[in-house]
Amino acid sequence: MIRVLGLYKEYRSEVNHRRIRVLNDITFSVAPGEKIALLGRNGAGKSTLIRMISGIELPTAGTIERSMSVSWPVGLIGGIGSSMTGNDNIRFISRLYNKDFGAVREYVEDFAQLGKFLSEPVKTYSAGMRSRLNFGLSLAIDFDCFLIDEMVAAGDARFQRRSHEELFEKRADRSLILASHVPDIIRSHCSRAIVLHYGRAKVFDDLDLAISIYNDL
Amino acid sequence: MQRHAIAAIMRREFVLRWGRRNLGFAWLFAEPLIFAFPVITIWTLVRAPFEHGLPMTAFVWSGYMPLLIFRHVTMGAIFTIRQNVGLLFHRRVSPFDIFLGRQGLEALGNLASVAFSFFVLHIFGFLDWPYDYTLFVLGFVYTAWWSLAVALILASLSERWEVIPHIWSPIAYLYIWFSGFLFMAAWVPPNIRAIILAIDPPFICYEIERAGLFGPRLQFYYDIPYLTYVLLILTAIGLWLMHHVRKHLELE
Repeated sequence: MIRVLGLYKEYRSEVNHRRIRVLNDITFSVAPGEKIALLGRNGAGKSTLIRMISGIELPTAGTIERSMSVSWPVGLIGGIGSSMTGNDNIRFISRLYNKDFGAVREYVEDFAQLGKFLSEPVKTYSAGMRSRLNFGLSLAIDFDCFLIDEMVAAGDARFQRRSHEELFEKRADRSLILASHVPDIIRSHCSRAIVLHYGRAKVFDDLDLAISIYNDL
Repeated sequence: MQRHAIAAIMRREFVLRWGRRNLGFAWLFAEPLIFAFPVITIWTLVRAPFEHGLPMTAFVWSGYMPLLIFRHVTMGAIFTIRQNVGLLFHRRVSPFDIFLGRQGLEALGNLASVAFSFFVLHIFGFLDWPYDYTLFVLGFVYTAWWSLAVALILASLSERWEVIPHIWSPIAYLYIWFSGFLFMAAWVPPNIRAIILAIDPPFICYEIERAGLFGPRLQFYYDIPYLTYVLLILTAIGLWLMHHVRKHLELE
């Protein structure tokens, strides 16, 4: 269970040092097995919220209770090193999370289908390839809740099918918080949605309603 | 202390710095020698073979290697956290882990290269075995500790103030003059010596190391408990600064 209670986040403007409120009194919870989409325009605070849930950034006020293990924010930046090869990243993350390198590598190889690119530096990867590597790594380490910031429309149907299978069939009891702009990805991975707008959050049980509201923002 | 995180970062750093496409492991040892050998050769040619009763090459070597340790460990510490801020996406990695993973490896690599260059010079007949091994090794260990303590403070302060690298480069240059690279306690008048020994930790490191290398040919001055005390205070300041560095960091 993750409980977010009265969460505020403010930054100082670099120009005039005024406070900018990014998140304004956010409250919601994520039960085990729940798959939630995070919707909002660019700059609405989706990444900030995901980082605070993962515990790498601190809220200005409010609390986050976590009674399950939470992944790092899986996205295009952070979590993996871009001047290292795919294999070096797998090795580093296995070591950091105390997992067997061989097993993690085997899983990621099969899931991400990067083939010989695993021995190339990550900076040569396309956005979709990075997403697949990063997501595959977090699945291999295995958390109770996966935080995904901007899953790129990795496009190919095989990957969509595969991540659906990994998250819903093999990990039905695990939770997911997924920020994305792509309705298809949200529909295939989530059952509820939170729409962020001007620092406020609203939880929707009806995914289609949430998507249509998001489209009208 | 998180041994897993630090060990993982060290190995990651090892692969990144001395990666497969470079000379690999050899760089770790070659790098200081590329600096040290020309300097030693020139000094040996220009100056007399013995100065103040000490073999010249040994004196230059004993001055140069601690300088390299200090320079490498401190220079790399500036902005070391922000350059690796992506690692903080993993909650179990702390800024201190990044620091120790990178600069700790740097210090270990430099100590290994000290040993390596010692053996090379010993084989060529430039260096005799140390008179007192314990003091000799202790001198280098204290040099590494001193360098890491300064590096820890620099790593944390550079995240707070952008001006740090600009201030640091002249200080790093002046370090040659006050560190003990060029002179020893026995050469200065007693009243000045007392002041230097009280305010100049690297100078004491040099005295310990040289006392170990040269033995009682010369009088060396060092107070190990005092040095330990000073370095503990510096380390504590550095740890405190590092502990509070997070709010000065921007996660991309």
